[in-house]
Amino acid sequence: MAIIDIVDLSYTYPHTNQPALRTINLSIEEGSFVALIGANGAGKSTLCYTITGFVPHFFQGEFHGTVTIAGKDLKSSELKDMVTTASLVFQKPQNQISGTKFTVFDEVAFGLENLGVPREEMIKRIERALELTGIAHLAERSPYALSGGQQQRLAFASMLAMDTPILVLDEPTSQLDPIGSREVFEVVERLTDEGKTVIMAEHKLEWIAAFADRVVVLDEGSILLDGTPDEVLTSSLLVENDIGSTRYTSVARAAQEQALAPQNANLPISLEQAERFFKQA
Amino acid sequence: MNETIGLYIDRDSPLHRLNPLTKVVFTICIVILGFISPWAWITFAIPVLILIPMSFWGQIGVPYLRALLKIVVPLALILLVMQSLFLPGETTWFRFWFLSVEYESVERSLTLVSRLVSMTASFILFLFSTHPSRLMTDLTRRGVSPIVTYLFISTIQLIPLMRTKANTIMDAQRARGLETEGNIVTRSKALMPMLAPLVFGSLVDVEERAIAIEARAFRVPGKRTHLTIVPDSQAQHLFRIALIVLTVVLIGVRLWLSLTS
Ligand SMILES: Nc1ncnc2c1ncn2[C@@H]1O[C@H](COP(=O)(O)OP(=O)(O)OP(=O)(O)O)[C@@H](O)[C@H]1O
Ligand SMILES: [Mg+2]
Repeated sequence: MAIIDIVDLSYTYPHTNQPALRTINLSIEEGSFVALIGANGAGKSTLCYTITGFVPHFFQGEFHGTVTIAGKDLKSSELKDMVTTASLVFQKPQNQISGTKFTVFDEVAFGLENLGVPREEMIKRIERALELTGIAHLAERSPYALSGGQQQRLAFASMLAMDTPILVLDEPTSQLDPIGSREVFEVVERLTDEGKTVIMAEHKLEWIAAFADRVVVLDEGSILLDGTPDEVLTSSLLVENDIGSTRYTSVARAAQEQALAPQNANLPISLEQAERFFKQA
Repeated sequence: MNETIGLYIDRDSPLHRLNPLTKVVFTICIVILGFISPWAWITFAIPVLILIPMSFWGQIGVPYLRALLKIVVPLALILLVMQSLFLPGETTWFRFWFLSVEYESVERSLTLVSRLVSMTASFILFLFSTHPSRLMTDLTRRGVSPIVTYLFISTIQLIPLMRTKANTIMDAQRARGLETEGNIVTRSKALMPMLAPLVFGSLVDVEERAIAIEARAFRVPGKRTHLTIVPDSQAQHLFRIALIVLTVVLIGVRLWLSLTS
């Protein structure tokens, strides 16, 4: 059953002329991991804001179409109904810090206190979130004394602890090293195994290839491609629209162009597929 | 970045462990006491006989004395001299060059300065020994609006953040060749180009902060819970009531005295 259902969504920010999203149609199954990719300004963050209700309830502007999130109609709901359904990890992690807490542990508690989660359960959830995001050792530090990558982990932990059925992550690994990025994807995998739905705007195509169930490509506010990682990440449209491709795909495509590999072979998106591809060659 | 939290000095002392409301009530009562005391020397005695010993009980005696000597005493002396010289009076006490100091103006300025001293000294002791988030957690639990809490704490957080931001902007301006060091004139000239990005940047921050707390269910109605438990005791409850009653009685006595005299 679709937990997110978007029909003919168009949205324009206030005081702008160009729509940031144009006639989006998207339906996302419960428990799936969907990656959003697209060039800068393609509308990834705007779509993330829409799934979490910030568009149109925080950012006003011109909103057309029907968006249904976990059975609730977005337009007739309020933001406070949405925050318990879908949580958003913002693109800039420092924006996520509440500014009311003096330690990392208390910072994660902020959302849970507002939701009225009992203290015992609150502590359990915070400990788990800090553990999963690998910042348990920073629990007593000030949120403002963390590095960008650590703040990014804290932002993730804060949303994780809120335990909403839908999690939206807007470029959550932009300030993380490869090990840190892998950890984020592994946590996401665990969450979807537990039945949560995850939508992630992300640039790191190799990780998307390895973990995502589905890839949606945005281009100037419209959906350009939508399908499995195998289908989408090997499309030549990605290269044409400056989104790029995985290193495996690029090398294989180059090999095809040089006629070093069969023209009809499927392009690889992972190391294993690349091995198979080049064995054929 | 150093992790300063307002003026708070972290210690594990009985003073720190007192319930924040007890300290709020105590501070307010002490300030009122200073104001209603009929003699300046009583008001001056409050910091010396009550607050300084309390600061040692709270293991913050040394920084507290330092703060008094560096902030409160110089301020008090300047005010005392100015007021004594310029407040009008009748009975000349002594003449000095072309200035005359009257008996009444010295008396009045002593009263004023003593109140100021006991007030700032109580506030400093309170701020030194009370963690802002413990204070606010306790007050929210007692029914103070979370918005008040938010404004209070985020303001405290803002000060070190603004300082960091100002330093970043200064570095950037300096890298572009702007003089930020030297005498007061060059330094105040350097201030102007710094102010615009600082103020504008902070305005942008306001929207981002608003969305951050929205995302964390800040406006979801219903009962909130608290991670931190701020202990209170029956003894402290009684102590607070006793203090309030005592203060009200003293206010009554003072009013009665001034009406009958
Ligand atoms: N708050 C806003 N007000 C007005 N216009 C905005 C706002 N946020 C984004 N836009 C515009 O909407 C369009 C889509 O932006 P969006 O941030 O969704 O793109 P994005 O795919 O997330 O890009 P990036 O990779 O840079 O994060 C852009 O043209 C952008 O300039
Ligand atoms: Mg974005």
